[in-house]
Amino acid sequence: MSGFVLSAILDKEAPLKALDALLLALIGIVIVFIVLIALMLLVSLVGKIFDGSEKLQAKHPEWGEKIAAFKAKMMFWKKSKPEEEQPEAEEAKQLAAGTCGELTLINCEERDAAMIMAIVADSLNTPLNELRFKSIKRVEE
Amino acid sequence: MNIGEILKNLWNDSGFHLFGGDSGWQSIVMIVIALFLLYLGIKKKFEPLLLVGIAFGMLLTNLPGSGLFHSEYWTGADAVAKGVNYLDVLQHGGLLDILYIGVKTGVYPCLIFMGVGAMTDFGPMLSRPSSLILGAAAQGGIYLVLILAAATGMFTGGEAASISIIAGADGPTAIFLTKTLAPQLLAPIAVAAYSYMALIPLLQPPFMKLLTTKKERMAVMTSTRKVSKKEKIIFPILVTIVVSLLLPSVAPLLGSLMFGNLLKECGVTERLSDTAQNALMNIVTLFLGISVGATAVGATFLTTKTLLIIVLGLAGFVLATVCGLLIGKLLYVISKGKINPLIGSAGVSAVPMAARVSNTVGLQYNKGNYLLMHAMGPNVAGVIGSAVAAGFLLAVFGA
Repeated sequence: MSGFVLSAILDKEAPLKALDALLLALIGIVIVFIVLIALMLLVSLVGKIFDGSEKLQAKHPEWGEKIAAFKAKMMFWKKSKPEEEQPEAEEAKQLAAGTCGELTLINCEERDAAMIMAIVADSLNTPLNELRFKSIKRVEE
Repeated sequence: MNIGEILKNLWNDSGFHLFGGDSGWQSIVMIVIALFLLYLGIKKKFEPLLLVGIAFGMLLTNLPGSGLFHSEYWTGADAVAKGVNYLDVLQHGGLLDILYIGVKTGVYPCLIFMGVGAMTDFGPMLSRPSSLILGAAAQGGIYLVLILAAATGMFTGGEAASISIIAGADGPTAIFLTKTLAPQLLAPIAVAAYSYMALIPLLQPPFMKLLTTKKERMAVMTSTRKVSKKEKIIFPILVTIVVSLLLPSVAPLLGSLMFGNLLKECGVTERLSDTAQNALMNIVTLFLGISVGATAVGATFLTTKTLLIIVLGLAGFVLATVCGLLIGKLLYVISKGKINPLIGSAGVSAVPMAARVSNTVGLQYNKGNYLLMHAMGPNVAGVIGSAVAAGFLLAVFGA
């Protein structure tokens, strides 16, 4: 079997044989699956670690307080920003990442906003880059 | 020198006179093809950002006597035997020769991937990791086309690999692989890849309807877990390390994609992320389109191989869609109806077109069943999948 693969790799000028291609295709698709399944397992693992730490914090609120106290202690060492800069920083927090600074999200997550914008573009049959959204606000029922 | 001689010399140097030469008819046919592609890009809006550039590059390179591009620098006997003489290109090359250096060295596809990474939200994929399986499944199209290309008996290994990557529905990856393995086929492969990507809304739905039942198409997918900011920051770093160690040949493409994504997600490099998404992406798209189009010289473009590439590319898009849908159906069964198989077709990595098609077909059968966010998972996983597939082909045929 390895003879087929070798002929495909070594003889670069000759046409690829169907049998060589079949064997390479099998190896190739297996490799793609192995790499992506490895990524899937890693992504799941990282997700579980993060979910687990959140659950642990919910179970032991005193740990959360200790972490908050530690963070506050660390903040002491950081140089505080001038007061006049703070309102601007607050405003910047309201803006969605990646915008030109025009889209304001009010009680709305980026993920939901992205979905809303895509749906609007789809409904209007207009490319997303031709639409301008100024703000997206969650309406409380 | 009298006026008659001056006029005669002017006529002899003009492109109109050169049309009468041996390859004149080929230039005329190529100009007609370029005008047709311009029509498709401008009027029909087929991937206009790239197709207009490719078509205009094709037009410029086929104007006799313009000397904007010299294919002998890149695919001539000397270049193949001794490698490209970049000093010669810089000293004597035309404008498009100089721009083509970015394609030949693989810089443009990687920079485009950086921009794509900065525009991509991997959140939907992270919230449903099984999306990666669908992203892998759709790459089956690439390997099926490899077998088909080999079965024609007309292509070398490198050429067959470059043609097969069209099925990945990923322009930069196709260009990156082809410039290394089969630079003489760059123009037809790039044109096929970008044209079929534009046709995805027409190509995919018939197969989506053919391969799924009404019940499957109506399956409602529930919302997935919320992905934290930290996970989104860790992901590009993790993927770069793991995939580049497993398959080093894919590191330039995937590294650029993940770097762009890290710029977007880390939250402290908004200016760089903005540049990667907009200014840089636009500049590189300009250079890439026009210089890829320039490689479409009549003598190498007007061959039976080009026709076969067009047919195999179409087969590749269909086969990739079918592979994604079949694994989607399998996941539908395994998850007891919690995964709509229509999102399987989004595993081909034409982002976000393929995901929008899944959403549109889903809505036709169940109003209010928005599949867009669920389909974005396999869609972005497909980008990683096609890069991995290209890395494998590069490792085999580029060695």
